[in-house]
Amino acid sequence: MQQTILERIDRVAQGVFSLVLRGADGPLAPWEPGAHIDLHLPNWLVRQYSLCGDPADRERYRIAVRDEPLSRGGSEYVHRFLRPGRRLGVSSPRNHFPLEPAPEYLFLAGGIGITPILPMLRAAIAAKAKVTLMYAGRSTETMPFVAELHSAYGDRARFMATGDRGRPDLAALAAQSSSRALVYCCGPASMVETAEAVFPSDRLRTERFQPTARTFAPDTAFEVVCARSGRTVEVPPEQSLLDALSYAGQPLASACREGVCGSCELVVLDGEPEHRDDIGAAEGRMYPCVSRALTSQLVVDL
Amino acid sequence: MTNVRTGYRRVPLDEVRARLGEPEPMTKAKILDRIDDHFRRFIAHSPFLAMATADAAGRADSSPRGDYPGFVKVIDEHTLAIPDRPGNRIADSFRNLAENDGIGLLFLIPGLRETLRVNGRAYATDEPDVLVRMRTEAREPVLALIVEVEEAYFHCGRALIRSRLWDPASRLLADELPSAGEIVTSQLGLDVDPATIDRGLEVGYRNLY
Repeated sequence: MQQTILERIDRVAQGVFSLVLRGADGPLAPWEPGAHIDLHLPNWLVRQYSLCGDPADRERYRIAVRDEPLSRGGSEYVHRFLRPGRRLGVSSPRNHFPLEPAPEYLFLAGGIGITPILPMLRAAIAAKAKVTLMYAGRSTETMPFVAELHSAYGDRARFMATGDRGRPDLAALAAQSSSRALVYCCGPASMVETAEAVFPSDRLRTERFQPTARTFAPDTAFEVVCARSGRTVEVPPEQSLLDALSYAGQPLASACREGVCGSCELVVLDGEPEHRDDIGAAEGRMYPCVSRALTSQLVVDL
Repeated sequence: MTNVRTGYRRVPLDEVRARLGEPEPMTKAKILDRIDDHFRRFIAHSPFLAMATADAAGRADSSPRGDYPGFVKVIDEHTLAIPDRPGNRIADSFRNLAENDGIGLLFLIPGLRETLRVNGRAYATDEPDVLVRMRTEAREPVLALIVEVEEAYFHCGRALIRSRLWDPASRLLADELPSAGEIVTSQLGLDVDPATIDRGLEVGYRNLY
């Protein structure tokens, strides 16, 4: 865990604050566009935020936080109670949404989903790629960084206030978009789902910031073998794999505990996981905070 | 008037008042009828409260509630919401509130000597917009209590100073008690190894949500 000091907290749009976190002990861990961090709040909550500053600035991280009306205590805490000068713990950056090389990009951002896209835009332009941004939000007052984006990217950036004119027509955008363009989409579930419906999956990269509401088969018991320690742990139906491992003396790092942040990633050597996360586990990986098993046994690298 | 069982004299209120003297005018002035920004910050940092309720006949009960700081949500300056996390399922508070909606809350913040008292009226709800704010570890409570605030009061720290409640050395007091398993086996006359009950309790304590 890295220690930071909250250097600035500024309102950048209606209901959105930007936070600049300075490393308390020198330079911070490096990151690439698309990365996010866990922010450890004084109320014990840990929340994930995309880094939206400049990766070349090793002294600081910048994040932006929207005030959620139905906040569980994370965004509400940031908006109401955080003050400059407060020390805050921050994880090393993780990246489930990396910018892959391409000659052309189409960026789709919804509301606060603009945050990972900001450093991507800069990196894409620095790499001389062709870029288009479609940035939608309820109203321009609630959309952070509009002025900054407009002056930096001119008509390569298109803005849409959906409060007036409904949702952006992603299907039309898909029809116009070049087949060479990689599409990066970050926004509310409705936007990500529409993007998934209209863009070919091999060209689409998405990130969600809330777990999708889904229903799963009833939880059943299974067994997990820890290959390195040789230990076998029973996972009862009412317990997560993460908890069962921790009670058995094999604690793992964890943060969101709902399959969004990726901090509890586990290497699976044998058996078939039942993936329930929203990250999209790579082959041979799983997120034990939510995911379970399709086979009666899993073998993991612990 | 004398208590029948103990034979102790009951001191009537006017005499109690005469002995204690009148409160400072400031003390009364500190009682607000709403949750202002200071009290909101207090509640946002409090992981624990004691909840007092009573039934229609005046039979009273106080029960502990705890979770991460800010687990009690301030809906607006007159309304709080308290999640109902899994407990002993006796539901004393809910039963009392169904008969008598008066409620008294005492919020604590570890390390802070002052406490916050909030009194008002309460009812159970399953309002989705309230429950979703209490989602933790991918679980939502089934019910929440809504408290309509009538009085909110910042209580001075004398009791906590005298009790040395936050002094780490005070924790040694816990070592002087038998384990929960030992207490239960003794009280119920069970022919069970207390350690078995203690282990069972520890397993139960793992499922907090």
